[in-house]
Amino acid sequence: MIRRGQLLVTFLVGAAIAALYFIPHYRAQALNSKLLEWTLIVYAFALILGSMSLWNSHTKKVRNRVEGWGYSLVTLSSLVVITVLGIWKGVGEGTPVGTIYDTVNSPLASTMFSLLAFVIASAAFRAFRARSVEATLLLITAIVMMVGRVSIGPIISPHLPGITEWLLDVPNLAAKRAIALGVGLGAVSTALKIILGIEQSYLGKS
Amino acid sequence: MLRSGPVTPALDTRWFDPTRLNILIGVLLFTTFLVINLFRARGGRELYVRPLAGLKAMDEAIGRATEMGRSVLYVPGLSDMSEVGTFAAITILYRLAQRVAEMGCDIDVPCYDPVVMTVLDGAVRDAYSKVGKPDAFRPGCVHYVSAQQMAYVAAVNGYMLRERPAANIYMGSFYAESLLLAETGATTGAIQIAGTDKVTQLPFFVCACDYTLLGEELFAASAYLGKEPIQLATIIAQDWAKALAAAAVVTALALAALGNLALMKWLGAA
Amino acid sequence: MTWMKRLLAIDRRIIFLLVATGVVLPLLHPLNLPVTVTPRVKAAFEAIDALPAGSKVLISMDYEPDIMAELQPMSIAVMRHCFRKHLQVIAMTLYPAGTGLGERAVTLAAKAEGAVKNKDYVWLGYKSGFQAVMIGIGENLRGMYPVDFYGTRLDDIPMMRGVNSYRQMAMVVNLSGSSAADYWIQFAQGRFHAPLVLGCTAVMATDYYPYLSSRQVLGLIGGMKGAAEYEALIDTIGDARRGMDAQSLVHLIVVALVIVGNGALFLSRRAGEAGGPAAGSMVR
Repeated sequence: MIRRGQLLVTFLVGAAIAALYFIPHYRAQALNSKLLEWTLIVYAFALILGSMSLWNSHTKKVRNRVEGWGYSLVTLSSLVVITVLGIWKGVGEGTPVGTIYDTVNSPLASTMFSLLAFVIASAAFRAFRARSVEATLLLITAIVMMVGRVSIGPIISPHLPGITEWLLDVPNLAAKRAIALGVGLGAVSTALKIILGIEQSYLGKS
Repeated sequence: MLRSGPVTPALDTRWFDPTRLNILIGVLLFTTFLVINLFRARGGRELYVRPLAGLKAMDEAIGRATEMGRSVLYVPGLSDMSEVGTFAAITILYRLAQRVAEMGCDIDVPCYDPVVMTVLDGAVRDAYSKVGKPDAFRPGCVHYVSAQQMAYVAAVNGYMLRERPAANIYMGSFYAESLLLAETGATTGAIQIAGTDKVTQLPFFVCACDYTLLGEELFAASAYLGKEPIQLATIIAQDWAKALAAAAVVTALALAALGNLALMKWLGAA
Repeated sequence: MTWMKRLLAIDRRIIFLLVATGVVLPLLHPLNLPVTVTPRVKAAFEAIDALPAGSKVLISMDYEPDIMAELQPMSIAVMRHCFRKHLQVIAMTLYPAGTGLGERAVTLAAKAEGAVKNKDYVWLGYKSGFQAVMIGIGENLRGMYPVDFYGTRLDDIPMMRGVNSYRQMAMVVNLSGSSAADYWIQFAQGRFHAPLVLGCTAVMATDYYPYLSSRQVLGLIGGMKGAAEYEALIDTIGDARRGMDAQSLVHLIVVALVIVGNGALFLSRRAGEAGGPAAGSMVR
C-alpha cells in the first residue's frame, strides 16, 4: 500500500514535470519554479541527515581509537566551529566563515585540483603503451594532441595546430556526439523506467 | 539592439510550445518502443543483449574482495538526484549490494549529496533484506562525506590509501575529480570498474580503470545485472530509438545534399 | 631486474618530480613562447571588438577557486579588452565562492585600463537561483539585482540607467567551468536571443563546438590556451601566457616519458621478456 502510494506520487510528479517542458504558459512555469524551490527545501533537511551521518561515522572512529582518529577529531571540531561561527556571525565576505573559506578551503581545493597535473602524467605513462593497433593509434593521437595544443607545437611544425583542430573537429566530435546520443536515450529510458514504476530500487525498504 | 526603457514582461499564455513538437514526437515514439518491448518481454520472448566486459567483471571484483577479506568501495558519483546518472548509480548499487550480501563481503559507499545518501542507504538495506541477510547490513556503510568536490575526493582518496579496498567501482556523474580518484585507486592495486554519463570524463576512466562502461552502458548496467526481462526490454527499446535517430540523421543529410533542408530544420539542426 | 623493466615500473614519484620541475622552471625563467591564435578565440575577440563604444556587455564569471587558473586570466583579458574599447561592463557571478574571484578580476582589469567604477563597470556580485537569475535578467534585471555588490541602487548608478534586460545589452559573455554555459545558451541566447560568447575549461570546450557551427555562440575561449590567445590578441602578457610556458614544457615531458616507456616496452619484447608490473604503481 505504501509502496503503491510512493509509485503513484513518482508517476504524477514525474509526468507533470515532463509535461511542463512543453507548456510555456506562465502559470505552468510558475508551478515548475515552485517545484524547483521545494527541492531546495528538501535538500536543506537532507543536509541535516548528512551532517548526522558525518558526525556518527567520525565519533565512532574517535571513540574506538581507530588508526587516524586524530583526523576524525579535526573533522568534528571543524564541523562544530564552522556551524557555531556561521550561526553567530553569519556567512559571506568579511565574516569569520568567509575568511576561513577564502584562506583555508579555497587554497586546499586549488591544491587538490592541481594534483591532476601529476596524476595525468603518471596515468599517461602507464596507459599510452603500444600493446595493440588501437592502443598504438591512441598513443600517436595523444602525442600529436599534447604537442600540437601548446605553444611549442607550431615551432615544431606549422601543420600541427591544423591537425589538432581537425582531430578535435572531426573524429573527436563525431565520437562525442554518438556517445552523447546514446547517453541521452539512456537517460530518457532510465527516467521513463522510474516514472512508470518499472525501476523501484531508489525507493529502498518499503 | 533596442535602447528603450525597462522591459514589461509579456505573459506567455500558450499551452503548447510548437518549437518542441519534434522532441514530443521523439519521446512518444520512444515510449511506444518501450511499451512494445515490455509486451514482448511479458510474452516470454527471449531478449538478447550483448555481454559487457565491465559488468561481467563486477562478479569477479566482489569475489576477489571476499577472498582477500577486504571491502568493495562504491563511489556513486558527485551529483544530486536531479542527474539521471545518479539514478543509474542507485539502481546499479541496489543489484551490486545483493551480490555483496550473498558473498558476505563488506561494502563502503561514501556519498557526496545528503539526499542521495538517504536514498542509497535505503536501497542497500533493501538489497540485504532481499537476499535474506538483513542483519548483515552494516549501519554506516553508506555515509555522507562532503558536498565539496575536492574535499570529497580527498576523503575518498584517503580511504582508498588506508583501507585498500580490493575493488573500486565508480558509477554515476563525475567531473574533474575522476582521474584523481581512479589514479589513486590504481596505486593501491584494486580492480577498478567505472561508468559515467559525462563524456568528457570517459577518457580518464578508460586510461586509469580496468573496465569502463561508456555512456549509455551505464544506464543499461542495472538491467544487465538484474537480468529481469522487463529491464532488458528497455535496452532493446533504446536500441530501436537509436536506430531511428541514425536513420533520421542520414535521411536529413541526404535531403540536405539534394538541397532540401526541411527535415534538418524540423530536427532542429538547421 | 633489467633496466628496461625498471623503466617500465618506474616509481611514480619520479614522474611527479619531473612534472614539478617542468611547472616551476618556466615560472622562474619565462620562455616567452609564441602563441598561435585559433579561429574560435579570434571569433570571440572580433565579436567583442565589433561593438561600438558605450555598448553594455554582461560578463558572468561562473567559476570557483579550483578552476581559477584557467578562467581568471580569461576574465581579466576579456574585461581589459572591453575597457579598451570603452564598452561598459556589467559583471556578476552565479557561484557563491566566485564572488571574491569576480571582484578581484574586475578591479584588476579596471586598474590596468583606468576604468572607473559605476561609470565604466558595475560589479553586481552573486545571486542564487541559477536558471531563475538568467530568466530574471531577461525579464527584469532590477528584480534580480536591486542593488550592486556594494549596496548602491542600480538607479543611482549612471551606466545602469535604462538598463533592465538583455535587450539593453549588446553582448553576454559567460566564463564558466560547469553546466552554467548550457543554461546561458538555453535561456539568454535561446529564449532572449542575446548575442553570446563563451569561455570554458579546455576539457569542456569541444562540447560547445556545435553551438559555434550553428552561430548560437559567436566565439569560444577554451582553457588556459584560449586565455593565452586572447591575451596575445590584446597584446598583454598575463597569467595565461606565463602558464602556457609551463604547460608546454610539461606536455613535452609527458610525451618524452611516453616515448621512453614505449621504447623500453619494445626493447623488452624483443629481448623476450615479460611486460613487467604495471608501471607507475607504488605497490611492490
